[in-house]
Amino acid sequence: MFNEYFAIAWRSVTAHKIRALLTTLGVVIGVSSVILLLSLGNSAKAEAEKQIRSIGSNLIYVTVTDPIGVLPSIWLDEIKDAARIAYYSEMVQRPVVYNVNGNDIDVTVSGVNADFDTVSSLTMESGRFLNDLDTRMGLPVAVVGFKIADALYAGDDPIGKTIVINGVPFEIIGEVGERGQSFSGDNDMQIYIPYDFALNLFSSRAIMRSYYLTSITEADVNTTLTKVSAYLEETLPSTSLYRAFSQSQILGIMDTLMSLLTSLLAGIASISLIVGGIGIMNIMLVTVRERTREIGIRKALGAKRSQILLQFLIEAVIITLLGGLIGLGIAFAGAWLISQVSGFTVTIGPETVLLALLFSITIGLIFGIYPANKAGKLEPVEALRYE
Amino acid sequence: MISLQNVKKHYHMGEVLVKALDGVSFEIEKGEFVAIVGPSGSGKSTLMNILGCLDVVTDGVYALNGKKIREYDENDLAEIRNASIGFVFQQFNLLPSFTAIENVMVPLTYARVGRKAREVKAKTLLSSVGLGDRMTHKPTELSGGQQQRVSIARALANDPDIILADEPTGALDSKTGQEVLRLLQSLNRQGKTILIITHDMAIARYARRIIRLKDGLVESDTVNTEVNDDVQ
Repeated sequence: MFNEYFAIAWRSVTAHKIRALLTTLGVVIGVSSVILLLSLGNSAKAEAEKQIRSIGSNLIYVTVTDPIGVLPSIWLDEIKDAARIAYYSEMVQRPVVYNVNGNDIDVTVSGVNADFDTVSSLTMESGRFLNDLDTRMGLPVAVVGFKIADALYAGDDPIGKTIVINGVPFEIIGEVGERGQSFSGDNDMQIYIPYDFALNLFSSRAIMRSYYLTSITEADVNTTLTKVSAYLEETLPSTSLYRAFSQSQILGIMDTLMSLLTSLLAGIASISLIVGGIGIMNIMLVTVRERTREIGIRKALGAKRSQILLQFLIEAVIITLLGGLIGLGIAFAGAWLISQVSGFTVTIGPETVLLALLFSITIGLIFGIYPANKAGKLEPVEALRYE
Repeated sequence: MISLQNVKKHYHMGEVLVKALDGVSFEIEKGEFVAIVGPSGSGKSTLMNILGCLDVVTDGVYALNGKKIREYDENDLAEIRNASIGFVFQQFNLLPSFTAIENVMVPLTYARVGRKAREVKAKTLLSSVGLGDRMTHKPTELSGGQQQRVSIARALANDPDIILADEPTGALDSKTGQEVLRLLQSLNRQGKTILIITHDMAIARYARRIIRLKDGLVESDTVNTEVNDDVQ
């Protein structure tokens, strides 16, 4: 019986193709923009998560302010086993500007230890990373990001070349592979030099100290975080003098922020779905009036109220579902276009597709029920008399 | 089969109380061919609506096959119309975007007859009214006489107890009108109960019994001794 109503409704929709299309335009716009925004948000989130994951999900950042020098320089070695720390590196950073062929390029110089490459999952493009000897002896050697190598030596192998930082010449011993953007800026515009050398070079007194450390396994992250925090709380005069947080905590915060932003945008876009729904209701009311006589005939031939109601309700749902499908098509086209233009891949997941279709059906049901009920309620005698 | 006892239908038109039917009584047996005649305002349209279960009486009793129609709700009435009554309207009232065969299938659909059975039945009926070669035509592609035949086929779809024809020739020229009346007569000879509502005595003369209505009352109820019937 249900497919009968579907056939009838389908026929009257296709009998007025242009009208159905115009009617459902609001739904088309609503569905396409909601899907596109949701997918854009999800894809951006996934992309950012991927980048952070590539740095390492058992990574922990610690910053300590130690103005009176109560923290032993080997404090991390003291708690290394208890806190299940695998590797760690201190870090000190300074921005440096290079002028290349009249253009300023902004570079970050980072003083780190030999374990830094392991801690932050660096991969080498060529040469090697700093080793224990370099850092212990404070040798003037540097490892550069690939963009710096490109900018300064334009395709030449940078290994063995000399780079001058704050007037001091460094020998380049390695080039890091592509890393991409992160919170700390462009990771490919970094120069890594031995930590102690960096302290001297920048005449830093190491009051603010940063550490990168990794726990032995991902499951140990919380143990490490707790132990490190407990040690610092005991040692330092105030809890406000240190911060320790894990990569996954940052991920969590970012996740919340992105979700909030995404749902906010999608919420705004869904207003057009409601406007579209009102358009559907309007046209369905006109349709019911136009087809009053048909309703009268059907009732005379034995149609019940519920059967007439269902016929018009299905018609409304077909129109909105059609709009949803067209909107989906536009969203896919939009996603493809964005991917082509920006190189940033927008994926529309099956759950988003399902959501969009369910949403269009719901709009049809909500805004179709009133006109459909009006049709069902018509008195056969009155309806037959209608010209 | 049809029994009306002191049937009244009153309604308000603004301030005025209109007594469209004011105590109509008669009975119609199975197999009869009856014409209800009356000038406009006599209440014949109201009577047709009541007999067709499209409307209910204000007072009195209308019984169809012993069922007192007033006791049924909207849904039951829809089922009764579907199963027991076949309507033939003056303006044919075919669904314009449906083909002839699809129009005939509409009452079968509401009777929940399966797709295959519906098609077979509709084809048989259209052939029997002489439209075997016009099944996939839409109403606009058919002449008035052909459209009325489609609507007669549709009226017969669920083998109803009675065919209610409201001015069935009103929109036709006299020749095609006569053909339609002959078709109704032949259906009557096959045992169908036929009831024609008309203002035209010439049309009423095709029936074997004539009930005259005036001012909401039965004026006369006579057997037509001079049936216009050239079939021997």
